[in-house]
Amino acid sequence: MSTRTTLEARNGPSAQPQPVAGLGTLIRLIIRRDRVHGPAWVLGIVLLVLVGAASTIGLYNTAEQLQNYADLTSGQAAIKAILGPGYGLENPTQGAVVMDEMALITFIVIALMSIFLMVRHTRADEESGRAELVRAAPVGRLAMLVAASIWLTVLNVLVAVGNAVSMVALGLPAEGSLAFGVAGLGVGLVFMGVAAVAAQLASGGRAATAIAGAALGISYLIRAVGDVGWGWLSWLSPLGWAIGIRAYADERWWVVLPLLALALAMGALAVALSARRDFDAGILPQRPGPARASGLLSTPLGLVFRLQRASLIGWTVGIAIMGLVMGLIADEAQTLAENDSVAELLTPAATGSLTDAYLATMAVMLALAAGGFAVSAALRLRSEESAVRADPVLAGPIGRVRWAAGYVLVAVGGSAVILVVAGLLTGLGTAVSLNDISEVLPVTGAFLAQLPAVFVLIGVTVALMGWVPRWSAIAWAALAFVVIVGLLGDLLQIPHWVRSISPFDHIPLLPAEPMQWLPIVVLTAIGAFLAGIGLVGIRRRDIG
Amino acid sequence: MSVAISLRNVVKTFGSSRALDGLDLEVATGEVHAYLGPNGAGKTVTIRTLLGLLRPDSGEARLLDGDPWRDAVELHRRIAYVPGDVNLWPSLSGGEIIDMLGRFRGGIDPRRRDELMDRLELDPRKKSRTYSKGNRQKVALVAGLASDAELLILDEPTSGLDPLMETVFQQLIFEVKEQGRTVLLSSHILAEVEKLCDRVTIIRQGRAVQTGTLDDLRVKTRTSISVATARPVEGLDALAGVHGIRTEDQRLHFEVDGDNLEAVITHLGGFGVRSLVSQPPTLEELFLREYGDDVVPDDAAASPA
Repeated sequence: MSTRTTLEARNGPSAQPQPVAGLGTLIRLIIRRDRVHGPAWVLGIVLLVLVGAASTIGLYNTAEQLQNYADLTSGQAAIKAILGPGYGLENPTQGAVVMDEMALITFIVIALMSIFLMVRHTRADEESGRAELVRAAPVGRLAMLVAASIWLTVLNVLVAVGNAVSMVALGLPAEGSLAFGVAGLGVGLVFMGVAAVAAQLASGGRAATAIAGAALGISYLIRAVGDVGWGWLSWLSPLGWAIGIRAYADERWWVVLPLLALALAMGALAVALSARRDFDAGILPQRPGPARASGLLSTPLGLVFRLQRASLIGWTVGIAIMGLVMGLIADEAQTLAENDSVAELLTPAATGSLTDAYLATMAVMLALAAGGFAVSAALRLRSEESAVRADPVLAGPIGRVRWAAGYVLVAVGGSAVILVVAGLLTGLGTAVSLNDISEVLPVTGAFLAQLPAVFVLIGVTVALMGWVPRWSAIAWAALAFVVIVGLLGDLLQIPHWVRSISPFDHIPLLPAEPMQWLPIVVLTAIGAFLAGIGLVGIRRRDIG
Repeated sequence: MSVAISLRNVVKTFGSSRALDGLDLEVATGEVHAYLGPNGAGKTVTIRTLLGLLRPDSGEARLLDGDPWRDAVELHRRIAYVPGDVNLWPSLSGGEIIDMLGRFRGGIDPRRRDELMDRLELDPRKKSRTYSKGNRQKVALVAGLASDAELLILDEPTSGLDPLMETVFQQLIFEVKEQGRTVLLSSHILAEVEKLCDRVTIIRQGRAVQTGTLDDLRVKTRTSISVATARPVEGLDALAGVHGIRTEDQRLHFEVDGDNLEAVITHLGGFGVRSLVSQPPTLEELFLREYGDDVVPDDAAASPA
């Protein structure tokens, strides 16, 4: 700030408003707070890309191996839905294969980084009251938003550079590597803007993250439908644009323009919304609550359910819609694989049809998504404890095990609800697309059969909270592991013993495989054992 | 006298720091007991230990004839707790939280609840994310006081209340006392302590440094004396416990330790006392003496002669 502007500021009301005053100090504050988070995200993403790409390149060396990969994926609707359309696989290069496997997942993780960190430095800080101290200082109205955006832009650029350099270092062509990095940067900036808008709409950090996360989910879903069936739909999704840069497959650089335009538009919208609202208030209205508690709030379990009800509904609706859409495009699974040799390759040793294989993959994928709910629901116990909201409950005649068991029950029960509803809707979608109502119950059963694996994830989370509460967030790493192993295990040819660590690896692939009860029983027992250990830990440690 | 709370030589460490360092605390049934100490002295750790949220490393803790850790659930049916930093569920309304916490302990008397909300002027329909600190505290107070608990544990319950509500709170505690219930009150508001409390315990660095009635505590500190005598006083400085003797306007001013007061007064009697003003230490001086390192500011002790 120059001397002149300082003088103007002292002249009172006649001075110019300074919307970003204090920006430099705020950026330093953010860097200090993110000195672990920021580097961890950047290094984590770059390492994920580097390791994933290196192992892919190691697996697919010869033209024959590359062609095998292309044949394997070209017929599978499930793979197109999960990984993208596979640009360049008609004439496969190593770069094209790496992109098919890694690009979309990388973009999603980049988007998550932008969402989490943007909300952390804007809405979550307002909610906690910390931002009030900052805003009471001579700091402009937009300074926090702008400071967080600058910091996230820096992180996104670092990720882009890291990814491009990794690819070049692995021997892939420079132009495609740059395109991959730039596309990721575009996605990161778009969802930075989306999160900034969500932070103005919602009045809590959790709600803001949920809104931005839903936007990411919708982008993914629209693109999935487009990539499997109606190709034009993919052009309505920023993830579709980013994939559409066609790295290593005749790059289309112009897709950067819509990405940047959307990012700028979101940023402008966030600024406009932020000028229209009060501090710590969202644009979405707050209604008064009831003066009396309903019967639900009579037990600790009721409280846990009430606190998570909105989140459970959100996860259920999101995953069920994804299931419905995946079901509705199930007939594509057959048309895509009319080639006999592919069909032979795809059909598991058992009796299942191609559609059954597709549905089995969907059950695993959506159960992994339900695992996201399960881990976050169980971790609520820890966040309630950290926020000193456990004390008023435990100061009543409520035992710790009863208190903690409420979180386990809601996590398990909520996951069951998600799986059943998503299974039903996937089955209904399949029934409509195949004109065969008999699919509904088997598909629902296939989804529900995943519950014991989700239960194991919950057990791991509870055990962490019981014995190493400060390290509870490791549960997210466990989720990331089962997701990577579950979705990319085959393509990355991850060794079997590594895959067998994931509980999802042991669940029979219904409806493509026959039912096996042994793994179901064993996994349920493991989940119960881990949760039990966790409860014992919670019983004997300090609270707080 | 039966005992509601008894801590003996309780130690609680967090890593290398000793939050409670051999703490003794005894609260008799039916009394209002003030629990005082500077910030970070260990008051909240004590209370969370009494609630069975923290497990003491060593020492003996008894609460209503039970073990606060082992018998937590049974004991909590008989106690009510109001925290100082009230953290509530942002998406629930104040009314919902009060009902819920009441039901956890087996139901809430709706008339008592409505009366308390009325007296404390709490709007139960607001979501708790929109409550101010004072209003969050009111939610916790209504939830705690609406119960018929025999022991109330209050951790700085009025730090966010306005003076009007502070008066209402004091009235409510008087009523609780009349019903013969026990209160452990941690507070920094000394006027409140002076009005409400039967006995006081002061802790510093995890140890109880003083405990007793306010009168007991006053004995343990210095009283300022201003005296005019017929004959000049001799030999005063030779007596034990006499400090800061000076003469001003032909009056003798000095301070004397509570324990030595009687001997000093007897000694003065031999010189023909014409007038004598004795000023007991204010509660504030008492605390300054206990909180700070033995420092009673000289002017504060001497000025109100």
